[in-house]
Amino acid sequence: MMHAYIDISVHAFPEGADTLKRLNLVAYGLGFSQIVVTAHSPHWSQFPDSSLPLGVEIVAATVRDLRKKIAFFRDITTIVSVHGGDERINRAACKDDRVDILMHPERGKYNGINQVTAKFAEKSEVSLGMSLDYFWKTEELERSRLLAFQRRNVALCRKFGVPIIITSDAYSHFDLRTPRQLKALAGLLLLTDSEAEIALSKAPLSIMKRRGQKEDTIL
Amino acid sequence: MKPLSPTLRDNYRYIAFRLSFEEPIRARDLQTEIARTAKSLFGDVGVSKLNIRVVAFDGSKGLVRCNFRHVPELQVTLASISKIKNKRICVTAIGTSGTIKAAIEKYLQIEEKIRRNISSYVTMPVSGKAVRICGKEIDIIPEDRKTVDRADVNFIGITIDDNERLI
Repeated sequence: MMHAYIDISVHAFPEGADTLKRLNLVAYGLGFSQIVVTAHSPHWSQFPDSSLPLGVEIVAATVRDLRKKIAFFRDITTIVSVHGGDERINRAACKDDRVDILMHPERGKYNGINQVTAKFAEKSEVSLGMSLDYFWKTEELERSRLLAFQRRNVALCRKFGVPIIITSDAYSHFDLRTPRQLKALAGLLLLTDSEAEIALSKAPLSIMKRRGQKEDTIL
Repeated sequence: MKPLSPTLRDNYRYIAFRLSFEEPIRARDLQTEIARTAKSLFGDVGVSKLNIRVVAFDGSKGLVRCNFRHVPELQVTLASISKIKNKRICVTAIGTSGTIKAAIEKYLQIEEKIRRNISSYVTMPVSGKAVRICGKEIDIIPEDRKTVDRADVNFIGITIDDNERLI
């Protein structure tokens, strides 16, 4: 069966280097059925009103700031993801059911989540975003450190039933990879082929459907 | 030396790939980068098992060979390459095959888009100089380098739909 692959976190111009149309053109050629542009919250205002991205990746320094930004962006965007790294931010994001995805929680000092955070994430239906861009953006020790953290997070997600999402976190078309290449990279995180398949197709699709439905019910 | 009989020879898989690049690169540089990345990811022992070699490369597409048991490792290696001589590239694996002939027939008989240099000043969606056009894709060197530095590239990528004046 053919799967509809979705890359749920790419950054388009003016935040990234390629316009949405260019990214769409390249992604379609690679085998994706859809890409979702998310903008980091500091860059949100740079986008013209006519082409606001579908999602936002909230960057927050404190938990209070995070809650404020979630409340602001939840009503105006479809996908709300949180820029992870800080353990307090990771936990606050996992507790909040208005958040869809916690992106790269391992970008801090440690792997970013523990069993408590994973339970919160499962309860609030927050998915864990694994961006694989460090494979081509970092080298040697940094790469192996992030790989080890992501492996630990995959084990936690598997145990507590937290959905995993694989993204390329692309800033230009040079950062986009084919679904098959992403699945091969996911194999290094000890994800099975079927788990990687779900992380690239069903999991992002279910978030988009869920948010679409919620918006409908609000209307 | 007497050649090995077919049953004793290694089995290979051939991966056809396509290359996106900022500046044209040589086959030798690509081979070196693949070997360096594979060594960084899998170590000396791992690379000895992979048995990687670039079989053919014409500047924009080619074939790379590996041991038939280690195709995912080669996929990972190709996906992890991002720069050669400080210029951004992207290696996209198109497909895998058991023979060179089948790989060429199945995956490399694609019509190549003509890449030509242009020189035109644009203001939409960013002010700068359009320098290259390839199919529908246009590359722009922007005046303000903040965005390209953030993305670690040299060009802003647009399509002809973004700026129809350039057609």
